[in-house]
Amino acid sequence: MAEKEKERIKASEIDPKFKYEIAKMHGGEKLMRCFQCGTCTSDCPVARFSETYRPRQIIRMTQLGLKDRVLNSDTLWLCASCFTCTDRCPQDVEVASVIRVLRNLAAERGCIPQVFKEQAASILASGYAYKIPDLRIKKRESVGLPPLPRGNPESIRKTLCNVGFAKHIEKKGE
Amino acid sequence: MGAEKKIEVEEPRIGVFVCHCGLNIAGVLDIKELLEYSKTLPNVVYVKDNRYTCADPGQEEIRKGIKEHKLNRVIVAACSPRMHEPTFRRTVSDVNLNAFLFEMANIREFSSWCHPSTPQEATEKAKDLIKMAVAKARLLKPLQTIEVPVTNKALVVGGGIAGMNTALDLAEMGFKVYLLEKGESIGGHMAQLDKTFPTLDCSICIEGPKMVDVGRHPNIKIIANADLQSVSGFIGNFKVKIRKNPRFVIAENCTGCGECKEVCPIEYPNEWDMNLGVRKAISVPFDQAVPLVYTINKDYCIECFKCVDACGARQAINFEQQPEEIELDVGAIVVATGYDVYMPYDNPLLGYGKYANVITSLEFERLILAAGPTGGKVVRASDGHKPHSVAFIQCVGSRDKNKYPYCSNFCCMYTLKHVVQLKEKYKQDVEIYVFYMDMRSNFKGYEEFYDRAREAGVNFVRGRVSKILEVPETKNLLISAEDSLLGQPIEIEAEMVVLATAAIPKKGADEIARILNVTRGADGFFMESHPKLKPIDAPTDGVFFAGACQGLKDIPYSVSQGSGAASRAATVLSKPKWKIEPIVSVIDPAKCRNVNSKCGICAERCPYGSIKVEEKKAAEVITAMCHGCGTCVAECPADAITQMHFTDAQIFAQIRAALETNPQDKILAFLCNWCSYAGADLAGTSRFEYPPIIRPIRVMCSGRVDRDFILEALRLGAGMVLVGACHLPYDCHYISGNWKMKARMDALAPMLQKLGLSPERFRVEYVSAAEGVRFAELIREMTAQLNALGKDKIKMENEKLRPILENMLKRKEKK
Repeated sequence: MAEKEKERIKASEIDPKFKYEIAKMHGGEKLMRCFQCGTCTSDCPVARFSETYRPRQIIRMTQLGLKDRVLNSDTLWLCASCFTCTDRCPQDVEVASVIRVLRNLAAERGCIPQVFKEQAASILASGYAYKIPDLRIKKRESVGLPPLPRGNPESIRKTLCNVGFAKHIEKKGE
Repeated sequence: MGAEKKIEVEEPRIGVFVCHCGLNIAGVLDIKELLEYSKTLPNVVYVKDNRYTCADPGQEEIRKGIKEHKLNRVIVAACSPRMHEPTFRRTVSDVNLNAFLFEMANIREFSSWCHPSTPQEATEKAKDLIKMAVAKARLLKPLQTIEVPVTNKALVVGGGIAGMNTALDLAEMGFKVYLLEKGESIGGHMAQLDKTFPTLDCSICIEGPKMVDVGRHPNIKIIANADLQSVSGFIGNFKVKIRKNPRFVIAENCTGCGECKEVCPIEYPNEWDMNLGVRKAISVPFDQAVPLVYTINKDYCIECFKCVDACGARQAINFEQQPEEIELDVGAIVVATGYDVYMPYDNPLLGYGKYANVITSLEFERLILAAGPTGGKVVRASDGHKPHSVAFIQCVGSRDKNKYPYCSNFCCMYTLKHVVQLKEKYKQDVEIYVFYMDMRSNFKGYEEFYDRAREAGVNFVRGRVSKILEVPETKNLLISAEDSLLGQPIEIEAEMVVLATAAIPKKGADEIARILNVTRGADGFFMESHPKLKPIDAPTDGVFFAGACQGLKDIPYSVSQGSGAASRAATVLSKPKWKIEPIVSVIDPAKCRNVNSKCGICAERCPYGSIKVEEKKAAEVITAMCHGCGTCVAECPADAITQMHFTDAQIFAQIRAALETNPQDKILAFLCNWCSYAGADLAGTSRFEYPPIIRPIRVMCSGRVDRDFILEALRLGAGMVLVGACHLPYDCHYISGNWKMKARMDALAPMLQKLGLSPERFRVEYVSAAEGVRFAELIREMTAQLNALGKDKIKMENEKLRPILENMLKRKEKK
């Protein structure tokens, strides 16, 4: 993916309406205000350790209308939602919220990284993001810890199916 | 308003002059029919057609007609009044007919030019236009131009580079100028600077002589160390109160020798040096101060009286000095109060005030200045050493929605100046980083100056600094940003950081705004009367702006505006009398509600603050401040206000004349003179054709359009009603008349709909003077809607509405 992001941008892949689409959604309203100062990226704790994750560039690509590149990008999923970027932005762009909006769109087309899909599937199945191994549960019992609270996968599944989330994680990425 | 002429009581004798305008009008309209029709209108005693009414023979015909037929009202049915109304007003004045007893019917731009393919309908429309003009003309009253005397002296508030230039220019033109300065010396921020960009000439070397010129000029009186207390009056006749604060030194006796300073034992931080240096308790802020009068700071003085001894026989020191009240009469006021600099103590991320080696640009200015507290050495506060790396941070506070959203305009350039100065001083011994978002170098010689900085080897990093941390051992600073051109977060270590902080509205600007009744924009700077065509004028007549107080400017721009303000002020000061168009508002004290209850709506809605309201007294229009928009007239709940030449009665007469026949087929339009009427004119001039069903009524401002006008039009069964205004938010010729109209109509529209009016039958549209196409399209669109609604539906709605509207308008009929 990182390689593709470095490819030359062609006119055919620019969707000039994309920015309006984002600006209509809750959290994306102020997208157009960004003047690319880079404060978000400078302060981002993820950008410090990642070679590819640059919130400023995600906003830039969105403004320009590189819809497929943004939505298919793996880096979109690296945001830790700490909201430092939103906090520090001098133009009040809600950077983290824009990324959330983009993730929602990506999810709708099935572009969710495998690891998140598995996590989500686990929630659907057990109510836990992470399936706790039997060995661990036995160990808890042996040291006298109380049993873990029981998840309610049935109601979670119901909610997630109703909001249409369940079908997204079953979709295949483009 | 001058002696009323006898003419008022006479029965109107109206002459109608129909113009062929070559074939421009006669080629489409049936002139004969228009003449015959005009004869049938009430009070019309004479009709005449002319090939070209505006040419000399045509004008002569008018003069002859007035004389021979004893005409006391004249109507010219020809082009737009925006074109030739002034011409014909002069024509009728030539033969002693009051200029305001003249009216125009616009049958060219509004008929022959825009409806050429339907000559019959166009002629019908022209008839209506003449009928409307006659209806108004019958009610016209003679008006005299109002004149107020002018005091040919000026007050300039603020003695910075802009105010000094205004004062000098006005003084050179021969006007007496009072230059009011809040501080101890004139000179402003420019006197604090070391060099000026892009030429790098020494600031005080070029400003100093100018300050001396101001101080010496026989026509300029500097009133320094003083505050503006109050201003009353109006253009040509302002009364100003000033409070002169005590210096405890008698200005007339002080020779500026400085012997007192030598013996004074007390030092305190010098604000002039950004508190980096000190001054004595008796001192001047800087050596070149004008007026060169010493001041004792009583907050620090220990009253040892050594200065009194040093002064000796000159006896200039007076510890008992009291504040002095000064009253001045002036004809014009120029505001040049300048700006302040943001001190970023409240931004913990940048460490200003916490880390010793983080300073502001103005502090840097004082460091690098040879006459400054360090003698021109750039040193670190933490250890007094010269820094080997310096980072300059742009847009501190500026372009920040949470602080000051605007661009401060000159920071890019002064930072370039600082880096060039540093590089020239220390060459490769100092490494420089400039963190910027956009480098703005857009005036003469500025881009070349940017070249010079790059060629000197300055590192420009495109990215906004997110935080600065101090290395505790070395007191160096770690600056974090993203180098957005590389797309990488970057951290730079520098021994010194210079923050280019925002320039902000002067402290006390709100007070000045209140005293002078001028407004401030969202950014806090004073609002000019028109952003393009009146950038120096305040909305209050006779008040002008110069320099950064109206919006941030660098030195050359401030100097230009200073001279501009002088020239604008001279247009007032050079006249013995100031003339005012008599189309102003007049309040009938017998009807004003404020006498018995608290009202004051008119004063609140007046865009110019020209209405005075005192408790239990009738509101009063300060005629010299009224611009004649008529907003107050439309707003008055008691119909106590009249706008001369645009009275309710005159406009009602026009409405009734327009809708006498087949009202359901017509669009009655109220068009504001400056935008929508001009836009309609342009549609005609451009020959954009549209259906001839609109009957326009000209008002000076859409703010004049009373709710009752709409109600009356609908009561009479108008097919549609249109209010045309200047575009929101800033296009209104009267600052905010269009906003007042909008508020009024926004309340009216839903009410009418509730009563059963189809929403498309009442519209408010914004058309600029350039939007002829849009106007034509609008009328086409409205005509289509009107046809879609159908006559029957309109008539049905009208039947239902009429009794309700009649009831609502009853109040009007009583008059």
